[in-house]
Amino acid sequence: MDPQTQVDISSLSDADKKELNTVLTNEAQKSSIQQAVHQLNDVCFTKCIRGKPITSGTLDRTEEACAQNCVERWFDTQMSILKHLDVLRGGH
Amino acid sequence: MSLFGSAPSAPSKSSEDIKTALVQQLQQESAMNNARALIGKINEHCYDACIPAPGSSMSSKESSCLSSCMEKYIAMWNVTSRTYISRVSQESKKMGGDASALVAMGTGSS
Repeated sequence: MDPQTQVDISSLSDADKKELNTVLTNEAQKSSIQQAVHQLNDVCFTKCIRGKPITSGTLDRTEEACAQNCVERWFDTQMSILKHLDVLRGGH
Repeated sequence: MSLFGSAPSAPSKSSEDIKTALVQQLQQESAMNNARALIGKINEHCYDACIPAPGSSMSSKESSCLSSCMEKYIAMWNVTSRTYISRVSQESKKMGGDASALVAMGTGSS
């Protein structure tokens, strides 16, 4: 491990601890979003791009629309699952 | 105290220095993790798409396919990210401004 990263956290001031905490929370959320995007892009690349030869490095109109629809419908699916789960639980 | 000891003459750092170093390390590692995940996915998809029958060496056709595939994957990643984030903020507005539940929803256990 990099020696300069071995620090004594107890010598941090309260203000810096608080700031560090905020940074940590933000980074954790950013990381969650990135992970979700990785997972989604994996699924959507398979749905929208795979199955035909790759001829260019850019997305054409159809592929871009497919990518957007893929994310939106994935969300709709999540929402519909949650809704139906609520119905199954006898909710309203 | 670090596991392997530190240089005896190490100057004591101010709280500000420590904080800055930690934030920097955190962001670096986060970026590294993100890059690693991206590279892994690209390898998975593009190897599959461009090298269906591995020969004794890589042909120029295969290697140009890999370049295109990689650019395409990254282009799509950006579209996915943009669409995902705008939908998350849209949904969280509906649900009263808390995006954390929605963000957590998208991440599998991987």
